[in-house]
Amino acid sequence: MSQRQLAYVFDLNKCIGCHTCTMACKQLWTNRDGREYMYWNNVESRPGKGYPKNWEQKGGGFKGGVLQTDGKIPPKEDYGGTWEYNLEEVLLQGKGNQVVPHEKPTWGVNWDEDEGKGEFPNNHYFYMPRICNHCSNPACLAACPRKAIYKRPEDGLVVLDQERCKGYRYCVKACPYGKVYFNLQTQKSEKCIGCYPRVEKGVPPACVAQCVGKIRFVGYRDDKDGPIYKLVEQWKVALPLHAEYGTEPNVFYVPPMNVTPPPFEEDGRLGDKPRIPLADIEALFGPGTKQALETLGREMQKRREAKPSELTEILIGYTNKDRYRL
Amino acid sequence: MKPINLIKQAGALAIVTAAATIGLAATAVQAAPASKTIRVLSAAGVDAASPEAAIWKKAPATQVALQAAFPGHGSIVGTPVTERLTAQAVRAGDRLFVKLAWNDRNANTTIKDTGQFVDGAAVQFPINGKAATTPFMGDNVNAVNVWHWRADGHTENLVAKGFGTSTRVPFEGLKGAAVRTDSGWAVVLTRSLKVKPDEGASLSGKGTMPVAFAAWDGDNQERDGLKAVTLEWWQLRF
Repeated sequence: MSQRQLAYVFDLNKCIGCHTCTMACKQLWTNRDGREYMYWNNVESRPGKGYPKNWEQKGGGFKGGVLQTDGKIPPKEDYGGTWEYNLEEVLLQGKGNQVVPHEKPTWGVNWDEDEGKGEFPNNHYFYMPRICNHCSNPACLAACPRKAIYKRPEDGLVVLDQERCKGYRYCVKACPYGKVYFNLQTQKSEKCIGCYPRVEKGVPPACVAQCVGKIRFVGYRDDKDGPIYKLVEQWKVALPLHAEYGTEPNVFYVPPMNVTPPPFEEDGRLGDKPRIPLADIEALFGPGTKQALETLGREMQKRREAKPSELTEILIGYTNKDRYRL
Repeated sequence: MKPINLIKQAGALAIVTAAATIGLAATAVQAAPASKTIRVLSAAGVDAASPEAAIWKKAPATQVALQAAFPGHGSIVGTPVTERLTAQAVRAGDRLFVKLAWNDRNANTTIKDTGQFVDGAAVQFPINGKAATTPFMGDNVNAVNVWHWRADGHTENLVAKGFGTSTRVPFEGLKGAAVRTDSGWAVVLTRSLKVKPDEGASLSGKGTMPVAFAAWDGDNQERDGLKAVTLEWWQLRF
């Protein structure tokens, strides 16, 4: 058990799906040395298959407190190819007339982007960025016979000791979120490290700092003056993803609300129901979703009526100091 | 209680049970050492490093039955496929050569996808030379030395003090060579009898030495404790 727990809140109502978080992480950690296929941070369109493909069906996690051993190790094709383009050849050397990838792409990290569900004009989707949840009860840690995975006592970030790892991949099987990866070059497993070298200097993780929509909040669970405590514990509008997996994740999501207009009725007028079915959102964020959406709706309405709303003030997160408490 | 603690407790309980079993096993080995003995052929001046070296036609070959290893951790599930191996040993001067041959349907020699694992085999010795050491990776007092051949060409010299503790010990002197046979693998592992205390188990000046074996089939995703092993020590008789 760590002394403190770093946690994140991602406000899905502010995510524009620009993947800047993904690029920040990739540039910093995963664009080399066997990590090319890895996206420690990815943004997926929901509904969708996600990354790795169909990760919600991969198994792992805990049931009734018991570590599940039925998890799958996703094959590389479920993560997608790492194709390169002949940019230099075509654009600089004047050879050929078409920029093409060096292999035929069949799946990728955001392959089903913006597809979503439903029929036009009532189709819908929203973006969901995902990183390691730095769980309080990590299945990857429980699964490792070598104790190569541990929680840092000072911030609860879950890290994987490359010296101890022997590439058995029990952690890859066990993580129900598909957020531990096997490096084929080093033959060891790797994962998001929560940018701990930055955190140690009081700097937010790269994916957080680079977020264009400023959807990401980071701080400690026990900091009662910080946005994490207020959004998770006080206002209860930030919910864990698939809490039923039993790992006690520390990334919390403000569920999507009004990210799409209401659906059109038969006569062409806009209806009054939400376009994204509540059940779809509840399937991700659990039974607290309805109450969270009601709270959000109520507070947003206050704002529309020019009344004060502490919650919307927090969610706007005007400055870095408002969003990051490290 | 946290699930992790439950698993730890379950593991600890299982280890106690295993330790009781080991106690019995060690007694059994001491009572009837001849039944599980691999005779070492002394042959000065030969080079037995290749599994196809002529000397292996002369060295006594012993059939060694393998069973599923005791699963030291809740993650380790499944049944290993290798049922037996043939063990031979040759001493040439100050070197010991151990040859292991076993059936293996497909050669798994590289890891090109995330779900692939390589074939392997291992020879294990108690560093204190005593059969009272648990053959299940030793314990925190009585360490074991493991020579681990992997079908990707790596041969690792490991020291372990219990489940999940095996650690590579830098040592250039351990060599492995393998060939693919009609039915599977033939592997020779060789090392000088004498090593520095921190490099592994010393084999010099021994009349007998406890030894254990293991095999992994990469096809079956075998790795770590998912392996076929000798559940008791055998004796190498020099």
